[in-house]
Amino acid sequence: MANSASLPGRGDLTIAEEFAQKIADERRHNQLMQMVPGIILASFAVLASLFVGGFFTVTNAINILNQISIPLILATGITNVIIIGGIDLSIEGVMGFCASIVTLLVLNKKNSMDLGVLGMALTVAAGTFIGFVTGVLHVKMRIPSFMVSFGMGSVITGFGIMSYGGKPATVEYALFPAISQGSILGIPYLSFMALGIFLVGCFIQKYTAFARAIYAIGDNEGVLRSTGVNVDWVKIKAFAWCACCASLAGLFGAIRLNRGEVIIGQGNLFTTITALVVGGASLAGGKGGMLESLVGVVIVVIIQNCMILLGINPYIQEAVKGVIIILAVALSVTRGKKDFVK
Amino acid sequence: MSQSEPEKPVLFSAERLSRYYGDFGALREVDLTVKEGEIVGLIGENGAGKSTLLKMIAGVEQPTAGQMFMQGRPYSCRTPLDANVQGVGMVFQEQALIRNLTVAQNIFLGREDHFRRHGVISWQRMNAAAARALAAIGMGSIPPEKKIWDLNFASRQMVEIAKVFDIVSTANPGESSLILLDEPTSVLNEAECQLLFQETRRLRDEGHAIIFVSHRLNEVLALTDRIYVFKDGTGAGEVKTQEADAQILYRMMVGHATTGQYYKTERQNLREPEVALRVRDISLKGIFREVTFDLHQGEVLGLCGVEGSGNEAVCSVICGDASPSSGTLEVAGTTFTSFANPAEALRYGILSIPKERREEGVIGILSIAENMIMSNLKAACSAGVLSNRRVSQIAREWVGKLRIKCGQVSDRIMRLSGGNAQKVVFARAMISKARILVLNHPTRGVDVGSKEEIYTLIRDMTNLGVAVIILGDTLDEYIGLSSRLLVMKDGQAIRSFDCPPDAKPEQVEIIKYMM
Amino acid sequence: MPALARVFRDHLSSLMPLLCLALVLGVFTSMNANFLGVYNITSILTDTAPLLLVAGSLTFVLLLGCIDLSTGSIISCSCVIAGLYISETGSPVMLVLMALMGVLAGLLNGLVYTLLRVPTFVATLCTSAVWQCAALLISDGKPKGIPIKQWSVINWSKFTLFDLFPITFLVALGFLAILFFIQNRTRVGKSIYAVGANEKASRMMGVATTWTKLAAFTLAGVGSALAGVFYAIKLRSSLPQVGTPLTLMAIAAVVLGGTTLTGGIGGVLRTLVGVLLVIAIQNGLNLVGVDAFWQQICFGTLVIVAIILNADKSGRDIIIK
Repeated sequence: MANSASLPGRGDLTIAEEFAQKIADERRHNQLMQMVPGIILASFAVLASLFVGGFFTVTNAINILNQISIPLILATGITNVIIIGGIDLSIEGVMGFCASIVTLLVLNKKNSMDLGVLGMALTVAAGTFIGFVTGVLHVKMRIPSFMVSFGMGSVITGFGIMSYGGKPATVEYALFPAISQGSILGIPYLSFMALGIFLVGCFIQKYTAFARAIYAIGDNEGVLRSTGVNVDWVKIKAFAWCACCASLAGLFGAIRLNRGEVIIGQGNLFTTITALVVGGASLAGGKGGMLESLVGVVIVVIIQNCMILLGINPYIQEAVKGVIIILAVALSVTRGKKDFVK
Repeated sequence: MSQSEPEKPVLFSAERLSRYYGDFGALREVDLTVKEGEIVGLIGENGAGKSTLLKMIAGVEQPTAGQMFMQGRPYSCRTPLDANVQGVGMVFQEQALIRNLTVAQNIFLGREDHFRRHGVISWQRMNAAAARALAAIGMGSIPPEKKIWDLNFASRQMVEIAKVFDIVSTANPGESSLILLDEPTSVLNEAECQLLFQETRRLRDEGHAIIFVSHRLNEVLALTDRIYVFKDGTGAGEVKTQEADAQILYRMMVGHATTGQYYKTERQNLREPEVALRVRDISLKGIFREVTFDLHQGEVLGLCGVEGSGNEAVCSVICGDASPSSGTLEVAGTTFTSFANPAEALRYGILSIPKERREEGVIGILSIAENMIMSNLKAACSAGVLSNRRVSQIAREWVGKLRIKCGQVSDRIMRLSGGNAQKVVFARAMISKARILVLNHPTRGVDVGSKEEIYTLIRDMTNLGVAVIILGDTLDEYIGLSSRLLVMKDGQAIRSFDCPPDAKPEQVEIIKYMM
Repeated sequence: MPALARVFRDHLSSLMPLLCLALVLGVFTSMNANFLGVYNITSILTDTAPLLLVAGSLTFVLLLGCIDLSTGSIISCSCVIAGLYISETGSPVMLVLMALMGVLAGLLNGLVYTLLRVPTFVATLCTSAVWQCAALLISDGKPKGIPIKQWSVINWSKFTLFDLFPITFLVALGFLAILFFIQNRTRVGKSIYAVGANEKASRMMGVATTWTKLAAFTLAGVGSALAGVFYAIKLRSSLPQVGTPLTLMAIAAVVLGGTTLTGGIGGVLRTLVGVLLVIAIQNGLNLVGVDAFWQQICFGTLVIVAIILNADKSGRDIIIK
């Protein structure tokens, strides 16, 4: 049109081209950020092998595989919750609760229960139900997920302690030691099982509509709503699945200790969240995935392992994780000025 | 084409369609007909009602009166999904795509069941179907397995169209569909636009109908078969594209000029020599570039342009809400590359009255008094201690001065009507003692009576030497209020008009440069 | 009549906590007549003091619509430091020193939030780990009593006015009065409400949002640190994990008082009622002989229920994450 032709031709880019360039820059930045966790993992592994005595040994490798199992299961569950932009602070509580009640349901020294595998199934069902309740309260009562799960975590920890009344039960069920002590090629059964659960998580992420909905909620909930998907139900399922994994983790803890206690859960929340954010998940939602979580878990477990090998005070380890989370989250936050964080 | 036109059956029609928000009619008694195999253009100023009409057709909003028909049957829809099932799909201006999913997953979001076997989704089949859907709009070159954020912007736009078109056509196999395109070209370059047009024409030739909305008149003239012109929420006429040219459309778009009395032009200031704000070559990458002007004391500077022309972004830079990528601002003898935040801008006497009053202009759950004092809490402080009595006193004073209709000044501001709430916002601006005001659509959602009072207020303030930058609702308002107009188009300030009280420019003159 | 109904509705939210308090007091008195005895009231008020400091200052953070999950750890850390300090010298400089530590802790939270833009629940969860770590390192993970020879230094805390009001409670009330002054009579106070109610609008109005946030978090830090000192004095020892359950209790007290989690509504006086409510429940449960873990269940449930009751039902379309 006549007037657009009369525009003075300044620079070599039009505004539309500049805009396109901005998008392209963003894209490049994203691609770069996706590679960062992998690079960190590789460099950590190399550095640890070189400078940490006793890191690059078979015993330690098995040790690491052993340490990975519980964080990996927890990460499998919470990844979906983080992708939708929520968080579940109750996983420690659920874990401790399930570890406590499973020991009371199988053959033990404290009561006369002997439900065996059924008891374990019931425990997982109970744990999943807790997640369901968290999800329903969050979605239907419109309470922020961190608050619901924080309160829920406290409630469920209380129930956990109550269940054994101060004195934890010791398990006499033969399956527990059989699992915890068995190994193939020196790698414990539990690590294989954890890997199995992780693969289930991968399967869900890859082949179900549920996982598509999870990503869609994280990026733009409104779009998904307009396609007619029941967004609330998807969210509830995410919380239930997260709690399901947490109860499996609790089960693992009980199997390993042959005893059920609430404190089995302690410290795991932090490890898991650290793993996720280090792996590249964004607390604002929309980013992350099973593979990213796996990378994150391995990084965190290696760091933990090195701190143990180096004899660093265990008190400091938690603080280190805290600092890592802050840094990872700060780096992943978009630099846009307009969105408000609370 | 034109010979076969009379035989084409009507696909969609709307009769006396209206949409009111309270007393404010965003759209009043509009008629519209779209035939199969036709591209219809909608044009008009900002706020003329085009978007409202599209939203009602697409099921985003419900009409308050009137009827719609699709293929002769009564048509109504409560959600976009509802509209899709009945053969209507809309491509929204802000893309409704999930960036972390692939092209195929986006196209079939919420419809994964078709590809599920034994609970497992077959990506192969979904990708194949996506490739077909893309090919249907001539975009076979976009790989269905790529994630959206790995695509360039134009491809995203095409994916969006493919998605909408596929949803609509699978829901109504073998029938003609109606596709609504809302400003699809705003961020596309020339070649991408041509591609979009080519595919749009192809859809038309297959018998589908398209409603196309754009601010760019040349595009509307190049693409459409028929054009509806909107003005102030009503239809201002329709014209066959072959019989139209830019001049005709300009004339149809502009309204009658209101008398100068309405805008109190007799109180318009003559230009004072003192410069309140010097803007030099400010640019914001991808939004606007190299905007330069001087804002004089006591003048009203209108920054006019269509949506996306960059005028809003210029305002947010001036009031400290955004940082420009280059250029400088000079105020009160100090030069800035940018303000850190609106608080810093206010320290140098710049305050903005935002467009979205509910979200940005007032704090709904706080009281009227608190809302008034919030930009200058110091006014009610002595020795750092805030006096709540003084706050109420100041508030009551201004409630009286501006004749704000309200109960107590301690009532929550959200109970006030639009006009009264806006007067509270103006009271806040005056209490703040800002010397430069950025008024972003100051009369939006305000009743006629309050509108006139607000115009008087603007004159009051400028007569006291306050400099005002204004973004208006209509061209009439721009011309009536401003002492100078700066026209922006595609991110550049392309023309400036002087508007002395006795020789205001014609609307047609200005709209030429805007569109 | 509708006007009257409106007045009632407007004040319902502030009356509710008081009604609840009356109900709780009634129930426990009927279960155990000693509940409202002078001795027990003094005991309740003594327990109230430290929680009042934390919850009172935490109110500002919640008024912003943010959260602070680090209060418990800050309490632990300052309890440890104060306990050890009293054991060594025990001059009143300690209070100033601990307040400074609180400023530091709160400022750290605020800076991580405002500068690094980390959501507050994560930011404070992480700093919580840091302060807990400090507490454990300093104390070597073990509780340590203050030696009896130093008890004279803190004997003043035994004083009770009219044999009913413990001095610590009165000091806490004084602190609350300062908070109330800040809330109502300073620019920061007004800004906190504004930012909490609508951050976008406050920003456009020229409110210094960053400073406001920093101020709120700093106050919360100071309140927590002082509460830690109170615990050291009250329990006459430095306990590295004394604060762990207090994070939740403080949040419970604030939301039970009627301050919403979404920000902008509430205030420190409401928190006073909330704190009394929480402590009365805790004390009553102890008195009727309920186990400690029930309290954890109880407060978790209370927080959730209180949030549901307080929730602003108007913003139905807002996405909550």
